[in-house]
Amino acid sequence: MVRIVNSPEYCLQYLEQYATQEIFVIGLILGQSTSARENVIHLARTPEEKCSENTSEASYTLEKPESSKTLLNLSEAWVADHARHVTRMLPGGMFVQGIFITSDEDVFEDPNCFSKVKSIINHIYKALNSNPYMYGNCPYSNERLILHMSTSTKVLTCKSIEVGATKGTVIKPVEWKFLPKAQQWQRLDCYYEFDDIYPVIVKKSGISVKHQFQQILESAHKTIESSVMFIDGELKDGSEPLEQLIKKKKTKNNPKTVQNDTLKSMHVSLFVPFENSLPETVEYLECDGSIHFSGVVSSSVFMYPKATVSEAIAAVKQDIIRSLASRFTMHCDALIDDNLLPEEKVCFNEPPRRVLVPVGPLYLCDYLFPGEAPAEALLSSRELLDLQITEADVVCDVETPADTSEFDALDRDASSEELLATPQEASQFMYITGICFAMFVLIVSIIVHYYDSIVEVFSKILSKS
Amino acid sequence: MSPRLKITSYVIERLSALETNECTGCLYGLMYDGTLLVVGFSLELFENEKNTYSQLLLNLPAEVELCGVVKFGESLTTGTTMKEILQDVDITDNPLVMIVNEQKDMKAHFLVHDKFEETKYDILSSEELWKQFLHVRLCTVLPLTCEATINGVKNVMQNKRKKIASGQVSFHIDGTSVYLFGEVSDVGLTGTSPDANVGELIDSMNPEQPNKKKKHNTNNIEIVPVNLVLKATKDMLSEKLLKTAVKMMTTQRKPSFCISMPLRIDTLAIIHRNTKLLDVYTVLVEAACRSLRLLESVLIEQIGQEGIGDGAGLRFPEAFHYLPPEIGHFITRVVPKGIPDESMEKERHNLHEQLGLSEKRPLFRRGNAYFAKSNTHLINPHEAIPPLPSKPDVTLALVRGRYNYHHYMQDNLNDDGWGCAYRSMQTIFSWFSRDGRYTADIERRVNLGNSVNGALGKLLGAKNLSQKAQLAVHNAVLVPTLTYGSESWVWKKEHESRVNAVEMQALRKICGVTLADRVRNTEVRKRVGGGVLAHTILGVEYNSVTNETRYLILDPHYTGTEDLTVVINKGWCGWKSSDFWNKTAHYNLCLPQTKPMV
Repeated sequence: MVRIVNSPEYCLQYLEQYATQEIFVIGLILGQSTSARENVIHLARTPEEKCSENTSEASYTLEKPESSKTLLNLSEAWVADHARHVTRMLPGGMFVQGIFITSDEDVFEDPNCFSKVKSIINHIYKALNSNPYMYGNCPYSNERLILHMSTSTKVLTCKSIEVGATKGTVIKPVEWKFLPKAQQWQRLDCYYEFDDIYPVIVKKSGISVKHQFQQILESAHKTIESSVMFIDGELKDGSEPLEQLIKKKKTKNNPKTVQNDTLKSMHVSLFVPFENSLPETVEYLECDGSIHFSGVVSSSVFMYPKATVSEAIAAVKQDIIRSLASRFTMHCDALIDDNLLPEEKVCFNEPPRRVLVPVGPLYLCDYLFPGEAPAEALLSSRELLDLQITEADVVCDVETPADTSEFDALDRDASSEELLATPQEASQFMYITGICFAMFVLIVSIIVHYYDSIVEVFSKILSKS
Repeated sequence: MSPRLKITSYVIERLSALETNECTGCLYGLMYDGTLLVVGFSLELFENEKNTYSQLLLNLPAEVELCGVVKFGESLTTGTTMKEILQDVDITDNPLVMIVNEQKDMKAHFLVHDKFEETKYDILSSEELWKQFLHVRLCTVLPLTCEATINGVKNVMQNKRKKIASGQVSFHIDGTSVYLFGEVSDVGLTGTSPDANVGELIDSMNPEQPNKKKKHNTNNIEIVPVNLVLKATKDMLSEKLLKTAVKMMTTQRKPSFCISMPLRIDTLAIIHRNTKLLDVYTVLVEAACRSLRLLESVLIEQIGQEGIGDGAGLRFPEAFHYLPPEIGHFITRVVPKGIPDESMEKERHNLHEQLGLSEKRPLFRRGNAYFAKSNTHLINPHEAIPPLPSKPDVTLALVRGRYNYHHYMQDNLNDDGWGCAYRSMQTIFSWFSRDGRYTADIERRVNLGNSVNGALGKLLGAKNLSQKAQLAVHNAVLVPTLTYGSESWVWKKEHESRVNAVEMQALRKICGVTLADRVRNTEVRKRVGGGVLAHTILGVEYNSVTNETRYLILDPHYTGTEDLTVVINKGWCGWKSSDFWNKTAHYNLCLPQTKPMV
């Protein structure tokens, strides 16, 4: 059976817009594949390579004039990097499904072009695999889409190739359908709460923020994977389609008013069972203090209504982990110094928070660092998703920035405690005051000693004037 | 209105049999359906240490609370200790005061508006107790990470109790889709109808069980396994929803030590079968909190001791549930893993004394625990035999304690035809091990056996000695060396195989075969020949009028599956008259010897 991919109609216009300009464009296909159906939600053009970036990314093609930009001299790493960034913006259950290209040559026929396309796809695959907690690669299928629109003939062809395969690549035809009607999506929401304390283990290299985040991520992943999910307060059969749940609910509550707002969000709750497999040993560790990780991750995933409950559960779990991993990566990338200094008694790390960005009927997400305005989200969505939205469209209130007053209070507590606890600091203070006093005495004694001459000098100056 | 009063037959029997110098004790009971049921009591021994009863309460199943005072003597005067205890009774507004006089007459009074009102009571038989009530066993593991100080442990334990009591947790009944929710959720439970009660759920869990089988399980104690899950998501509709994005705070404090361990919560609650599932939630919360308090006290006790600094000192707290047959309710103890039972004798001694139990045999050693780990054998099959109608001139003696039914073909070993003595020994060993009394000196024994083997080396396998004579030497020298004092061993699998190996070595020599000859152990045993028959006598009944004796036999020659119905109905475990014994065979009678200890 030929793989069928459903795409909203605006994607056609999007492709045609570039094809008519007769320029070479490459971009990513974003979508969701469920056992019921495969849907594309958006096409995002890869931004033009910046010259500075180009030189820094050594070993790749030399700078070329803008006009002569072709597939063959494109940097694979650049596209892969784009895919990595875009994955951060996707909710759980959505993946980079492949790439699209508008060009005049036929990428499937020209062997040079095709090997380049293959190489790009494999680069993306590898880049997305580098962090397993990002869920970059769709776990259900290893076949990636290649969509091509010829700038000369405007003919659209779509094929799929397998990634990560050791032997020769199999090319399969794919049927690409444009849907005249907007696709309905079932939204599932939850707020996952963290409130955990971890010990900070002594390491010679100092305390790495990155390492701490990694520790949290690993533990969160374990917990979330083992958790049991309830939809609207009830445990559902995993094989049941989501659609069915809504119908049942409707007939139960008020069968007469069958409304059309099937997009009413479902509330998800996760329950964590405690593993019985932990080793029965007591670890007694020397530690450097503790990490308190707290706050919420808001999660909104969008599922094709015919998708099953278990697919939805997997998507929600992916979403929470992916969001955590995205925040941590972005936070660590922005850090100037990864190591915590031993002098910092209390250190506060506030990773960027999630905001929602509308794409068609659903939302993708972006992250705002503390102090950043929603306009920042506009910039990145414009650049990475090729999306034209206004500032008002960005949903900023799904999460609120951390309340620093709470931190200040803790900081004060800790520092006053530390002052009492460590005599070194107290002595340091004494040391400084001692030096100040000594200086003062020195100056006074100099003045006293040279009093006569100083007076003489002053009187001279005075007499002159 | 004061509640109706019932007292279990266990309490009545214990009170009648008690010889004590103490004048007061505490009564423990539970409320159900407007009735106060007294299930246990303890003696107030330790006048210096306050509130020993509140400590003991933690060892009892949840729902069982302090309900009154028992006084030994004639008069109904209230002493100061008694007043203090009565003030702590929360379960009912009208605490119970029982008087037991010298003649063991018992009177019950409710304290209503500071006046005693004598009240009648019913005795609840043990059969009824186990039929009407069941136990919920909550098992879960909470990860614990905290500073290795007494305050650190106290704080983190308090937080855990708070969290469990906050309604954020949910309980999952194992093997069902039933989840119980706390106040935070709109619904109390999911997976079954909101009006369902516990008894119905249990019956629906094992629907195939025929009534015929039920008849055998009169004294069977029903346990509902429950698991705990913690709600990790926030309620979206709550007005107090805080949406603060995740953040990380690192506090450095040097030098410090921390403990990281799983907290194994294993706790029981006793509930009436008619309890609504919706009401079980609070019971489980209480059970979990009791368990956390027990775990806390064990951890703090250890941290308070010296020598923890090296890290090896802190031991994992393990929970054990005991059901001593006399007292008829569970006692849960939490003990540090790896501390030998011998060094905790004082605690056990106190517990025996507090509960007014005899100190002749141990009840609270690890081996006495009610739930044995991964046991596939039938336990005490004879209890399923319908009790005989008691006659005045019949004297009955039955096995005390618990044993496993070992018989042919178990453990993937085909010993049909020769292993009856061996299986009988296994049964007896299991009785010893469940008695909890002994620790092993197996190691020394095996070494001795080996040296005996060496000494006998020349003798065994000698051509000029008949096989029969050699076997006699083997039985007279080697086997006693190996097994002398074995009644005092806790028999384990690895011990068994080691002892067997030494014995087989000797037997092979007698037969004149070596390992290289590749003759199977079973074959060797057949060649040397074993005893004729072996049975375990579990009980004796003597009729002084007819002078007849009957024996309760456990037959190891059973080759079927672990099916209690078959074992009972086909008489593999049952009463036999004296012509059961083979008149022509020679029987050795073994009587396991024990010494009094706790």
